[in-house]
Amino acid sequence: MSRYLMAALAATIAVPALANGPLTVESSMLTFQKRAAADGTTTVSLVRAAKAVPGDKVVMRLAYRNTGSVPIGNVVLSNPVPKGIAFRAPTAGSAPLEVSVDGQNFGALATLRVTGADGRPRAATTDDVTHVRWRIASPIAAGAQGQVSFEGLLK
Amino acid sequence: MYRTRAILLSGTALLASAGTAHADTGTTAGTTISNTASVSYTVNGNAQTTNSTTSSFVVDRKANFTVTLDQSGFTQATVNQQNVFVKFKVTNTTNGTQDFILDPDQQNISLGILPGTDNFDLTGLKAYVDKNGNGVYDPGVDTAEYIDELAPDASATVFLVGNVPNSQSINLAFTSMHVTIATGGTANSLGAALVATDLNLANADNTVDIVFADDDSDGAYAGDIARNGQGRAYGGVQVTASNVALSVTKTAKVISDGVNALLPKALPGAEVEYCFVVNNGTANTAASAVVLTDLIPANTTYVPGSISLGPVGILGACLLTGSTEDDDDSDSGEIDGYTASFNPTSKTVTMNIASVPGNTSVGALFHVKIN
Repeated sequence: MSRYLMAALAATIAVPALANGPLTVESSMLTFQKRAAADGTTTVSLVRAAKAVPGDKVVMRLAYRNTGSVPIGNVVLSNPVPKGIAFRAPTAGSAPLEVSVDGQNFGALATLRVTGADGRPRAATTDDVTHVRWRIASPIAAGAQGQVSFEGLLK
Repeated sequence: MYRTRAILLSGTALLASAGTAHADTGTTAGTTISNTASVSYTVNGNAQTTNSTTSSFVVDRKANFTVTLDQSGFTQATVNQQNVFVKFKVTNTTNGTQDFILDPDQQNISLGILPGTDNFDLTGLKAYVDKNGNGVYDPGVDTAEYIDELAPDASATVFLVGNVPNSQSINLAFTSMHVTIATGGTANSLGAALVATDLNLANADNTVDIVFADDDSDGAYAGDIARNGQGRAYGGVQVTASNVALSVTKTAKVISDGVNALLPKALPGAEVEYCFVVNNGTANTAASAVVLTDLIPANTTYVPGSISLGPVGILGACLLTGSTEDDDDSDSGEIDGYTASFNPTSKTVTMNIASVPGNTSVGALFHVKIN
């Protein structure tokens, strides 16, 4: 029953990859899965977000690749924080990111301010983040690839 | 088949708009979370833009709820009382609307969850939802036997209802309300109990899995375990006011007439003993504060200081060992549980017995003289 329903939903939402530019960016969302390892320890691995309930950590990942024949420069990846997700932190090992609370002004979270519930400005928190942005410093050579990611919480 | 499709499609619109997060339970199950990034770059000095692919997943159902006793202590009841109820509260903390299956149970052992010792069962045990929300079970009004369509973060009051047997020796009945989370979505119809999606099952991103998140609601007691989609809370009924089978027999005996020593006759001037035997025919339950009053017959005179109470005698004697009482109604200094008085104006004898234990008798007597 729900399978049919979700298939219908997915069909309306899925956007085909834009294959015309030289830069392709693959988006994926991942969750942490704990598994009992053979040696008795627990391993935590990142898997595609298949089972996710409120309160779970979700990793938003963008994997980019230069499919063209010339280097690509000034790459800026801007990722609106998905509805239902609260920004939490940059993922360890990912390129440094900037955040925004309005989609216009980006910077370190500590430098951003928002209007509080009482109408007075206050320091922004991770819950206030609406956009995440990466600026890839060096040009991406032909055929080269990389990935960036951040961690959020399923509200 | 067609009918099912139509319902599903109308459900799609609902789900698509249900992206709002509830205060505590979080994003509604079935909500699609999707992510797309926009990208800008330059190739040979020419600025270009593109979008990333869109990834998405569907929020799964985090099945969770609580069931608690919603009253302080035991429900107080009387012998043979009908429709006695114990009140419980079920709160849906699932990120979706759910039905709940109610299952009323007898409990026979305490193990510290409830004080005291269970010694009877309620009959005709049922569970009902408080339809009109007044917190009291109303027969004929609160008729729903399952919780229908309970929204996230909403609560329902439910009653465990039963009848107290007509038995004199009962005191405590332990019960519990066993609740199972069920599929919601169809009003006025009880859905099937939820089954957790197999963790090892290959999962499509776009289906709603069921993940049990409920606690072990009774700790060390084995009535519930964590993550089973079930909950249990305990409560009981205490019978406080018991009726006892109390009976009194009154006999009269001439004890002296001044003429016949062996077989005294009811002559003027003869002394007559009135004997009362109070019997409590109920086992284990004492009758307390028993009061006997008797108007002395016409043409007789009360013999002062003749009231005596105590255990019943044998071989025709009224008392085994009587405790003689004074005639005034001041009972200071009385410690044996018996008090008595004679009112010369109303010519009434009053005798008080503090307690008649179950299945025993207590005797009382006084004397009059025939005028």
